Amino acid sequence: MLGAIVLVTGGSEDPRQAFTAAESGASSIGTTDRPHELPMACIEVLGSSILARMTSEFRRIGVDEVSLLIDEMFSSRRDEIEQSVPELAPVWTSDVSRAVAQTLAAYKESGIETCILTLASVYAEFDLSDTLQFHRAHQQPVTRVLDGKGLLDFWVVKVDGISEVADIFASLQGLQASSYIVSGYVRRLEHLRDLRCLVVDSLTSRCRMRPQGFEVRPGVWLAEGAQVHRRARIVAPAFLGSATKIEEQCLITRCSNVESNSQVDFGTVVEDSSVLSNSYIGMGLDLTHSVVDGSRLLNLRRDVTLEIKDPGLIGPNKSSGMDANSRSLLSFGMDSISARRERRSFNSETESTYSLL
Amino acid sequence: MSVSRPVVVMQLPEEFNAETSQAFCKEIEPLLEAHRPRIVLDCSLVRSIDGAGVEMLLHCLEEAMKRDGDLKLCCLSAQSEVVLELLRVDRVFEIFASAEEGVRSFNALPVDVIPQDAPWYSAVFGELGVLKQAS
Repeated sequence: MLGAIVLVTGGSEDPRQAFTAAESGASSIGTTDRPHELPMACIEVLGSSILARMTSEFRRIGVDEVSLLIDEMFSSRRDEIEQSVPELAPVWTSDVSRAVAQTLAAYKESGIETCILTLASVYAEFDLSDTLQFHRAHQQPVTRVLDGKGLLDFWVVKVDGISEVADIFASLQGLQASSYIVSGYVRRLEHLRDLRCLVVDSLTSRCRMRPQGFEVRPGVWLAEGAQVHRRARIVAPAFLGSATKIEEQCLITRCSNVESNSQVDFGTVVEDSSVLSNSYIGMGLDLTHSVVDGSRLLNLRRDVTLEIKDPGLIGPNKSSGMDANSRSLLSFGMDSISARRERRSFNSETESTYSLL
Repeated sequence: MSVSRPVVVMQLPEEFNAETSQAFCKEIEPLLEAHRPRIVLDCSLVRSIDGAGVEMLLHCLEEAMKRDGDLKLCCLSAQSEVVLELLRVDRVFEIFASAEEGVRSFNALPVDVIPQDAPWYSAVFGELGVLKQAS
């Protein structure tokens, strides 16, 4: 039997820092060292969080038990974190190391022999089945996964070997380990810039990550319930998440993604930018090379973060739900072909304002 | 003989929003009412600027241009530049790194440095002007 433990921890007080630094000689990567912020892996990217993608991959390869352990430092964002992985019930803990040891002990009791242990701080594409096979073949208590730049915060451990130890990270350091080298796509999630790069790589097919939605035109992805005004332009590659609303005369282009429940108001241009979920972008703006999360704007070109106090410009999206004049993908059917067919008939209707493109 | 009018450098407040921009407007109004106002707004103290602040800047620019003058900005922080870019007004204003540069820009081509006896095309077209003269 196979188990998996996914950890969401902070950066500065992360107990594994000593372990990672000692082994790789590199500075360690935290999911975030700011407790008020959402951990990178929990942020919705192209319709789904990295954490959700990770756990569904575990399910796909046949992992019997997946546990999600989250540092209590993120408790202020509890709802958002739990929504990012709806299929799992996370365990909130102030002592991550002890929680891991306890989970491993429980796994041992339930007959799980091998466990994947990972920190949700990296998006990596590699064959997990091959990694498990490698682990079994080498018969070491721990297999660490790394790429050319160092450790990937991903281990495969023999549950028998380390379940009794309280300080799991210290014990991992002490145990003999074999190294599994990954040659596929790897993106470490240290900064919002990395999420932006991941979006660009996905929309330009440089990695295997696919947007969660329907490709209504080559390179243009829409999730269920996305509303686009017929006088708005979406120029590929671009992604619009569920229940997003793109108003008249808007232009969304250059690998931009507008995540769920966000609104881009009249005449605004979104270029090479990410609008994270539940954000509002006001009228007549030029949003370029940026990431917007509610009222926060990070300009990647100038490396400047702004807190916009004027809700008329940028802020949390207060209006959600369907417009009376709007039509959504949901009403068009669940596949892109039918959506396209419907679009043709829809465009002939003069009274409706919003369409699929 | 040419008489160049002075260039006025004004400091913007730390917070340039709906409230502070009104007070600022009262201060700058007399300058804008002058003939051909030449104003440089020093933004070095500005920590935050919102839509109302940018509106006020545009209003001042408009008033200055109505009277054949100009209003330029200097010492903008990266944050302020991002806001101006976001609101699509970064191309409307001339922006300089320092107040000195901003002031100098008003006198970029002073009338008195161009020799008054030279034909206009020699200054403008250089070599072409010489050729025309020769012909």
